[in-house]
Amino acid sequence: MLEARSAQAQSPAAVRSRIIELTVNGERHEILVKPRNTIVEVLREKIGLMGTKHGCEQGACGVCTVLLDGRAVLGCLTLAVECDGKSVRTVEGLAQGGQLSPIQQAFLDQGAVQCGYCTAGMLMSATALLERNPKPSIAEIKKALEGNICRCTGYNAIVAAIQQASGQGVEPVMR
Amino acid sequence: MILFDFEYEPARSLPEASALLSRLGEGARAMGGGTDLLPKMRIAITRPTAIVGLSGIEPEPPSVTAEGGLRIDGLTTLAALARAPLVTTNLPMLAESARVVGSDQVREMGTLAGNLCQDTRCLELNQKHDYQFKAKCFKRGGECCYPFPNNRPGRCWSVYMSDIAPALIALNAEIETVHAAGGRRLAVAEMFSGQGIDPISLEPAELISAVITPPLPANFGWGYHKSSRRGGFEYAIAVIAVTLTLDASRQACTDARIVIGAIREKPVRVHEAERVLVGQTIDDALFAETVNAAVGEARPLRHHGFSRSYLIDNLRIYLRRVLIRAVERARGHASTT
Repeated sequence: MLEARSAQAQSPAAVRSRIIELTVNGERHEILVKPRNTIVEVLREKIGLMGTKHGCEQGACGVCTVLLDGRAVLGCLTLAVECDGKSVRTVEGLAQGGQLSPIQQAFLDQGAVQCGYCTAGMLMSATALLERNPKPSIAEIKKALEGNICRCTGYNAIVAAIQQASGQGVEPVMR
Repeated sequence: MILFDFEYEPARSLPEASALLSRLGEGARAMGGGTDLLPKMRIAITRPTAIVGLSGIEPEPPSVTAEGGLRIDGLTTLAALARAPLVTTNLPMLAESARVVGSDQVREMGTLAGNLCQDTRCLELNQKHDYQFKAKCFKRGGECCYPFPNNRPGRCWSVYMSDIAPALIALNAEIETVHAAGGRRLAVAEMFSGQGIDPISLEPAELISAVITPPLPANFGWGYHKSSRRGGFEYAIAVIAVTLTLDASRQACTDARIVIGAIREKPVRVHEAERVLVGQTIDDALFAETVNAAVGEARPLRHHGFSRSYLIDNLRIYLRRVLIRAVERARGHASTT
């Protein structure tokens, strides 16, 4: 904790911005970022993709989950400078050609969306899970979603949606 | 949003990272996954002037050492550690301890070395309120410990929360470090200072390059348990890691290591309890005696809202279960995974 007492932050002018190359949902971007910018800030404020949300900013709630080179990571704890040359998938990249992805459709079918604030993160965690494990058990689904907090649904509908999307005999309830 | 600027220097290798840290001075910090450092920067407990990014360095996959143990790169992510076939088959205890850390996202980001080098935590410290900048606690450079107001000046009783360190100490693992002045190899237990203010006793520009575990003896058993409120994505109430070896008849214990984590400034190895266990024939009375010795010796700090008596009750219950499980594994009754 020595640095907390002795070191003062440098003045903003002294810190160099950098150009990073980022592929977001298949589209290549070159963006000027400061080291302190996180990937969520860049997605929302520089690229204009508002699907990924800011939440606790402490890595505790999971609403900012994005897929970085296929791995589910917390956007609020990932510095944009560290993503140079990497590929990011956000919730906007799930639907293809106006068609919702199976997991998005299942969330609608199961009523797994209420206020919707956690949904983008839930969908990305669920996508990462299904890409790794196409037929997860209920225990595996719960383990994979442990980092995503939802204060509305009580989670059962979300677990059912992932079972539906993975073709495990759960029927839609919202049609 | 991080409210202050800092420099960012990507490193291509650990020696380069160590050299960068030396050059950038005491305000520089190394960052692996960032899951411990960035939350602290958000609440301005830590204000580095520069960050040396380690995320561009590709970790080597786990390998078997000449002695028959495992060598695991410090930059291995916890997700990779929990999934690596070599780890799940040879050291299921380590895979289990990696699997219970944080959430999927945290495990995908966080590294083994970063988990070991995480800072201690306290309910008062890890918050952002105006009063914390006005009336700082010892760890923030102030003059009072608010959770323990009678604490000796300068004494910080924040708690070291790693879930993996107790397992590594129980396995008698070592770390290998990289430093401009030459690296070294030391036992995991020796990397802790035991001081809440500055819990890790490595040099500022010293980085953990690998964790090395020794080969396991015959009739070896392990037990591991992390208590938490929700059972997922939480810091621990207490972590218990036990390894033991039985004699050829599998009736008496010949060697034991009992480590309790997340109760003090560093993982606590309860030597007294180990002495009770070693050399004796295993039975229920011996378990009870071992547990009594361990709770007497562990002296948990009340932390994160848990009273000392609650923590002692927790240890009594789970240490007994973990010991039973370790003996079952050593006797081959339970599957080793």
